[in-house]
Amino acid sequence: MGALFQGLAGKRVVVCVGSGGVGKTTLAAAIALRRAREGGRALVCTIDPARRLANALGLETLGNLESRVPDRELAAAGIELRGGLHAMMLDVKRSWDDLVARHAPDRARQERIFQNRLYQQLSSALAGSQEYMAMEKLYELATERDYDLVVLDTPPTVHALDFLEAPDRILDFLGNDTARVILLPAASAGKMGFRLFQLGGSYVARTLARFTGAEALRDLGEFLGTFQGMYDGFKTRAAAVRELLGRADVGFVIVASPSPVSVDEALYFHEQLRAKAMPIAGVVANRVTTDLWPADGPLPSAEALAAARPGGASDLPARLARTLADHQVFARADRREVERLFAVTTGAKAALPRLETDVHDLAGLATLAARL
Amino acid sequence: MTGPSLLDKRLLLVTGKGGVGKSSVAAALALLATRRGKRVLVCEVNAKERVAPLLGAAPNGPVVGEAAPRLFTVNVTPREAMREYGVMVLRYRAIYEAVFENRVVRYFLKFLPSLAELVMLGKILFEVRAVEEGRPRWDLVVVDAPSTGHAVQLLRVPAALADTVPPGPMRRDVEKMRDLLLDPAATALCIVTLPEEMPVNESIELDGQVRDVLRIPRGVLFVNAMPEERFSAEERARLAGLARTPPPLGPAAEAARLFSLRCEEALRQARRAESALDLRALRLPFLPVGVWGREALERIADALEGRV
Repeated sequence: MGALFQGLAGKRVVVCVGSGGVGKTTLAAAIALRRAREGGRALVCTIDPARRLANALGLETLGNLESRVPDRELAAAGIELRGGLHAMMLDVKRSWDDLVARHAPDRARQERIFQNRLYQQLSSALAGSQEYMAMEKLYELATERDYDLVVLDTPPTVHALDFLEAPDRILDFLGNDTARVILLPAASAGKMGFRLFQLGGSYVARTLARFTGAEALRDLGEFLGTFQGMYDGFKTRAAAVRELLGRADVGFVIVASPSPVSVDEALYFHEQLRAKAMPIAGVVANRVTTDLWPADGPLPSAEALAAARPGGASDLPARLARTLADHQVFARADRREVERLFAVTTGAKAALPRLETDVHDLAGLATLAARL
Repeated sequence: MTGPSLLDKRLLLVTGKGGVGKSSVAAALALLATRRGKRVLVCEVNAKERVAPLLGAAPNGPVVGEAAPRLFTVNVTPREAMREYGVMVLRYRAIYEAVFENRVVRYFLKFLPSLAELVMLGKILFEVRAVEEGRPRWDLVVVDAPSTGHAVQLLRVPAALADTVPPGPMRRDVEKMRDLLLDPAATALCIVTLPEEMPVNESIELDGQVRDVLRIPRGVLFVNAMPEERFSAEERARLAGLARTPPPLGPAAEAARLFSLRCEEALRQARRAESALDLRALRLPFLPVGVWGREALERIADALEGRV
């Protein structure tokens, strides 16, 4: 069990990835807690509309700002830290605004972007937007602060790969040269976007406008126009983020539950990370049903259990036999999936048993952290 | 049960936190409807296809296929939906291809926010309204919707766009979509949860958004995989003392102890969800199956028989 934590020794940035519902957020928090307990200054950063981390940390509010988990909360849960545990929840909209403010050449340009409807949707709703901001924020946390460890819990993407591709997609969006050529010649004249409608005779533009509505295109043109000149800043930054992810003190942890769907996703993710030469620090099978009958012999019958004299009602042995058999159905299915997951993956491996209760408070996190 | 059946709606949206069994519940509802002689379409939304394989059929991708008698499935993808929608609006495939297969245009479409959601939802709602030989093509369309946050993003699109899209064919479509989603006679949104802390939290939050933001008529809360206690309090106390004894009794007592703990927690969480949501709740059985398939789905459908 110590294997995972040893695999993370020396890491300054850990990125937890995996499909939704596998306990990724909880695990990210547990990794940070463990480092904090051993004397490190650790931060867990999550992006989570359902505020799961806030919940798991027993905190009522988490802003875009890092906050230290209060000692009294920790003490109440019986946790003593030699270091410090910090948590934050990424506010995607606010992070976009900060980024724009940083790159905008002047106030007027900044305001124009903030007012653009497309930007408003982009910053809150565009697929990949959260992922892009997660990477962006990670870079800031890793390079501009003095944490010993930053653990990033990634958004619950529908497709695991989205997370790795999102930054490229967003950059592609902001920097597409073809689009620029069509939309932007008028930009220097201060009439961004209207160029498209100067193409009024253009069959393509007219048909497209019929499909999407002309305003959507105008917004898009204006948006790209306003971003002109800022793109290089974005691009430099994105390159730096990508470089950061390849560093030796960065590690990805792939989290899966022992269900076939989740293991498939994890294996796919593993393949993609390797293809992109990203450092895989560990693979976790989370919430694995404990095997209570590890010998592969037949499970005990009701008669065999009755012979062991459990006492009580006459049908108790039968209920016990059934309950053990049901339990073992899950234990064996889980074991097969964990074997499948571990057979081909690299990095430290950990199978974490399903705990007796859900982890939703600091005490539960501490138990989980101890098992890393 | 009393009142109109959930299965007599035209459109059932099934959502909830990732990993709670949305696809299984959606498939079981569809199976149940086919038992009543209905023709049913299950739509998955740009996902790794699960419903057809669960029913023992091959995945059929973005083309409608019959996975079981009268039960059809389709995986709605943005690209295919966009093509269908485009052809519908523009009437001619050649025009669509000339315009929309253009590299620059593809680029725009990819990045117009909400367009992917709009066309996918458009495709689904088109199926709901489709008529063949004077009767609806489908008696019921069940949507195995994305998980919580993504589902809200998908379902809020028509209402959001109805206010912003300029008058034209798209505006009319968007308004029709919105009206169908909000029609209590036709549509119901069901939430699936597990009786566990985090999924219940997410369900409560989701239900709030359904009421306040989406305003889509709410159907049923399904509390999935609900274990039922098998041991009395007195037995639990006795078994706890036996959990560390040698096999065979020790492991059996430990299994019983874990099972009871799980039941206790499940009951607490189910009650919490049921009281917080003010929504009809149905508990679905906890099935001891390692690999889900047709048989398990039929058992869930059995459990729903006469209750929805």
